[in-house]
Amino acid sequence: MPPVLRAPLVVEFPFTRSLGPVQSAFLTGLRERTVLGVRTVDGRVLVPPVEYDPVTADEIRDLVEVGATGTVTTWAWNEHPRPRQPLATPFAWVLVRLDGADTSLLHVLDAPGPDAVRTGMRVRVRWARERTGAITDIACFEPYAGEPAGPPHPHSGSFPEPVTGIVAPARLDYTCTPGRAQSRHLAALDGRRTVGERCPSCRKVYVPPRGACPTCGVATDEQVEVGPRGTVTTFCIVNIKAKGLDIEVPYVYAHIALDGAGLALHGRIGGIPYDEVRMGLRVEPVWREGSRHPDHYRPSGEPDADYDTYKELL
Amino acid sequence: MPAEPVAVVGIGQTKHVAARRDVSIAGLVREAARRALDDAELSWADIDAVVIGKAPDFFEGVMMPELYLADALGAVGKPMLRVHTAGSVGGSTALVAANLVAARVHATVLTLAFEKQSESNAMWGLSLPVPFQQPLLAGAGGFFAPHVRAYMRRTGAPATVGSLVAYKDRRNALKNPYAHLHEHDITLAKVQASPMLWDPIRYSETCPSSDGACAMVLTGRAGAARSPRPPAWVHGGAMRSEPTMFAGKDFVSPQAGKDCAADVYRQAGVSDPRREIDAVEMYVPFSWYEPMWLENLGFAADGEGWKLTESGVTELDGDLPVNPSGGVLSTNPIGASGMIRFAEAALQVRGQAGEHQVDGARKALGHAYGGGAQFFAMWLVGAEPPTT
Repeated sequence: MPPVLRAPLVVEFPFTRSLGPVQSAFLTGLRERTVLGVRTVDGRVLVPPVEYDPVTADEIRDLVEVGATGTVTTWAWNEHPRPRQPLATPFAWVLVRLDGADTSLLHVLDAPGPDAVRTGMRVRVRWARERTGAITDIACFEPYAGEPAGPPHPHSGSFPEPVTGIVAPARLDYTCTPGRAQSRHLAALDGRRTVGERCPSCRKVYVPPRGACPTCGVATDEQVEVGPRGTVTTFCIVNIKAKGLDIEVPYVYAHIALDGAGLALHGRIGGIPYDEVRMGLRVEPVWREGSRHPDHYRPSGEPDADYDTYKELL
Repeated sequence: MPAEPVAVVGIGQTKHVAARRDVSIAGLVREAARRALDDAELSWADIDAVVIGKAPDFFEGVMMPELYLADALGAVGKPMLRVHTAGSVGGSTALVAANLVAARVHATVLTLAFEKQSESNAMWGLSLPVPFQQPLLAGAGGFFAPHVRAYMRRTGAPATVGSLVAYKDRRNALKNPYAHLHEHDITLAKVQASPMLWDPIRYSETCPSSDGACAMVLTGRAGAARSPRPPAWVHGGAMRSEPTMFAGKDFVSPQAGKDCAADVYRQAGVSDPRREIDAVEMYVPFSWYEPMWLENLGFAADGEGWKLTESGVTELDGDLPVNPSGGVLSTNPIGASGMIRFAEAALQVRGQAGEHQVDGARKALGHAYGGGAQFFAMWLVGAEPPTT
């Protein structure tokens, strides 16, 4: 049994978001040190504002400015801040009902320790020095002993040079373990052999193996070496460069049924002009130092396979 | 107790475009939902449940649309659920909604599907590198082009068939005000001269990347009786799936697609789809999938689908118009594309398709597929209520 393999898998993308009129006003307001809420049909003030009334579903657009001071309605102490959280030192997650608002905003409170935090305490916004139109324009909240702000007052939501979109980077960190079947397959590849698994029920050979037959629903275990030669069952000629791929175009991307395999795998065809590749072409793998999988496949020199021998593998 | 007959009484779409930077995702779905309610002359209070679908999460980074969009869709205090089936999701979302009405769980259901492709990159979402696996080397069309070549080899179809489909669908789109691509100067010569991206697929034979949403209001007999405009009646609906890759899979004509169509025809009492169905909205992301699906869906014998296309049968004024709306080739907000097919089929039998109306359409098929031909969803709608 080969050792269990592990590798990190990071899924990361900077998604963009068009804000629409309400979120645009809210985030632009933060840039201008102005906190905006929206008035619902029943007269409550929601902060942050939303576009549609949560009770009646009406479109709501009556923006109001609320205070930059407020009251902590509940909290939780965070002793170990993680990367990219608002503060690098221990802090409290807080829900703050800003003066003039009927709902609470989630943010963080800069406090020396949990003993310094309590529900009902008064706080105010500490503005970030550089503001771009993002929730992080509020650097955090801090304790505040002054007067409360007055009632909310109407606001047009208009500012010069409004922020209309944001980038919302998302990142997921996984640890990937390929499992028993694939680990055996990978170990064989290290010795430049391609090994699949045969289904005990339908007798088809899966390459790469998945540990189970997807049609019969039974575990596969019998190891079967396939190839190394195979047949091009079908292909396309790629004429545009795919992002992040360092392959000169045009090149041929083919489905290759290795001898003995029950289905085709995908690979690049080299060692032959791209416009001479054809269905039925017999090929063999070309390995490259430092790469686990074949770099590409090249003609083996055998006569083309007859269509009837691979038409079920298209 | 027999199932409640299901009627489509409201349909709404956004004008599909490359990027809707003026609205949030909430604003986008709201626009389609509002239009569907207006079409049905109903208000938010008339809706009993909401069923929503979208493309896979990575496609735009929205993980829980059922949570995020509840306000915008008037779902607060009502059941709301989400359906996931990759590119076919718009179709399966409509079917889940229809089943809720048929089972009398809810009287009137709002169903909606959307995507803002401009806020992410679908190609990235489809090609996340997985450790220990051999990376795929071909880009979006590289997955489909080898299957097209296999179809050509199997049937002997002439190389021009794909361009005929693209030319037809882009001209049909000119008659559809909601379609994304409006190529007023399109000619067959231009399609045939467009760059070959993934030989045998040319640039003009590929779908665009769109922002858009589509919504429908589904209801039973009582709701249909109050409908201000003629409803479309659901005569049959089915979903099937099979693995994306398995030994013996027929990529050109997947068994799950055949089985799904057969189930729909059986429910609808259709024995000869070619004669009995008046219009088809099928999911054709690359032009060659029209002849392929014509065979898969039973409109042509194996190997004969391209002959229907080549002889003009699938043109808007042909005997079996396919994608009178311009299809996915003209409009592709992936998460919504399946529902647009279903909605366009309903528009046809309601006589509400405007300039792209097929004269006298009484029965129409809506078809969606996705996940590398893993998921299939279809419905057949008619101008008359079902008899059984």
